[in-house]
Amino acid sequence: MDAFSGLMSGFQVAFSLEGLLFVFIGVFVGTFIGMMPGLGPISAIAIMIPITYSMDPSIALVMMAGVYYGAIFGGSSSSILLNAPGVAGTVATAFDGYPMAKQGKAGKALAIAAIASFTGGTVSVVLLMLFTPLLSAVAISFGPAEYFALMFLGLTAIASLADGSAIKAFISATLGFMVVTIGIDAQTGTSRFTFGNPNLLEGIDFLVVALGLFALAEVCTLVLNRNEKDDGQSKNIGSLRLSKQDIKEMSGPVSRQSFLGFIIGVLPGAGATIASFIAYITEKKIAKNPEEFGKGSIKGLAAPETANNAATSGAFVPLLSLGIPGSGTTAVLLGAFLVLGVQPGPLLVQDRPEIFWGIIASMYVGNIILLVLNLPLIPYISKILKIPRPLLISLVIIFSLIGVYAISFNTFDLYLLLAFGVIGFFMRMFSFPAAPFILAFILGGMMEQSLRQTLTISNGSFGIFLDKPIALSLIAVGLLTILFPLLKGRRKYKVS
Amino acid sequence: MLAKTNQKAALVVAVIAIVYLLLSFNLPGYSNALIDADVIPKGLGFLLLFFALLLYLDKKNETEADKEKRKISKQHVINLLVVAGMILIYIFLLEMIGFVVMTTVFIFVCSLYLDYKHHVTNVITSVVFSLAIYGLFNYLLKINLPAGILPF
Repeated sequence: MDAFSGLMSGFQVAFSLEGLLFVFIGVFVGTFIGMMPGLGPISAIAIMIPITYSMDPSIALVMMAGVYYGAIFGGSSSSILLNAPGVAGTVATAFDGYPMAKQGKAGKALAIAAIASFTGGTVSVVLLMLFTPLLSAVAISFGPAEYFALMFLGLTAIASLADGSAIKAFISATLGFMVVTIGIDAQTGTSRFTFGNPNLLEGIDFLVVALGLFALAEVCTLVLNRNEKDDGQSKNIGSLRLSKQDIKEMSGPVSRQSFLGFIIGVLPGAGATIASFIAYITEKKIAKNPEEFGKGSIKGLAAPETANNAATSGAFVPLLSLGIPGSGTTAVLLGAFLVLGVQPGPLLVQDRPEIFWGIIASMYVGNIILLVLNLPLIPYISKILKIPRPLLISLVIIFSLIGVYAISFNTFDLYLLLAFGVIGFFMRMFSFPAAPFILAFILGGMMEQSLRQTLTISNGSFGIFLDKPIALSLIAVGLLTILFPLLKGRRKYKVS
Repeated sequence: MLAKTNQKAALVVAVIAIVYLLLSFNLPGYSNALIDADVIPKGLGFLLLFFALLLYLDKKNETEADKEKRKISKQHVINLLVVAGMILIYIFLLEMIGFVVMTTVFIFVCSLYLDYKHHVTNVITSVVFSLAIYGLFNYLLKINLPAGILPF
């Protein structure tokens, strides 16, 4: 079966009445679950697996694609409306999405998010179809040295994430990296910094840190400002309509990040989070007015939203072509495939073309339904903003607590959550940015492992990086990114 | 006298770095590992110490906006401490008393404390919200939140 007829038969499944109905259910349930703090695409898919047991595999996969996209969009809306990113991939969305919502443009922010996600998702599905074989070959050639270099580059992005002091940003990042060293070391089994507490052996969960530093710290600010005269602006949803100017502004980031996000998504382990941060940073670097970023910039919102969706499709490349999941979410999806009796891998296209093309087609359809379903729902979703402040504070606190409790079933993690909320509040007070902390926390564990693997291969010599051109050039770019703002700051100081 | 906030913050960071380094040097060794578990933590500790030094030497004065951010009235500090205290009580009693009761009480009391005057709306929201979330998690998502003293 060639690609075209394969795709057509895939569309036949996806566009059948049954197919459309289940995509719709999938997107709806996914959006809903994704909006819950702590529940992202992984939990959404995991929760839906039992429901698909008795379904026809092609229909079940179509529904899963809907759940997947829906959950990602749902996560973006809680980032934008509450500054409470449920999953790592939507942290960067909050940087400009939340300021926009505070300015009374929540409707527009959600519309931009929906359109950017749709475009990023659609473009990358086309790329997925065209480049699956080629890109999987590149991904295989990545060893620990290249991974380390890639993540190093991701981390140095911190320098650009800092609004004020670059030094404070680096301190935040180092602290974030330190927090991730808590727990059992994966290579030697040594328990580090656990103080004999069994609850710390497995390390601290991402959600505890993210909800503490972002959502609870925001609660503190809300408590302090709750009596301030509200100009009514922040409660306005505003129009969903995008002006020609808005569309023009978002077209650049959306078209660039659709491609960049996809490429990053293909690399196993990199995924939506790194893609969204890199997207945000590159757009800030090349923007004519970078000072608008972080204050409700359309570009700053469109870029990470496009990239995280493009990367999620990119993550399907190693999954479909090699049968290797590149991220937590695709690992759960792999589980879902296996439950349905589908074994992804190099033979999938040959042996079960209807499944392979069915998945591709359902990704197109999932994207479209997402847009059709969510644009009209935006006014209802944004009602969250109309909730009076005291009530909202209580609800956000409870949401954060449930989000953590529902994954660990352990009150110890709740105390930790509160502790991170306090840390986040003090970091805000003393102008230490939280974003580098969370980025280092996400990348730190993987970075440590890949660096130690690399050095073990080379018998402890750093010279190994000199023999790896890809790794070397990634590290060089990263070093330049660090040095540039430090030097620039120095020069400014001298002039003044 | 440390006049500038940056210097004070740098000292706090340096203390964190030193404590972390002390702990790293006390990590047990594992003889077969070429790159042992303490290598990265030690590197991070020294790196943080270095950044603390840079921050200490940073002569940049604070902007007015930065100073403004730290001005918190006594009343506000009390507000924050009381809310934190309520969260602590919630966590402590959650598994004993149960999700529905604790959440209802928390939302009602916390909103009331923060001057929410519409008592009827408050009662309705807290009851409906906790029951809805409990039903959603326990029956639809099969994620069991603590039932506590309630039979369901």
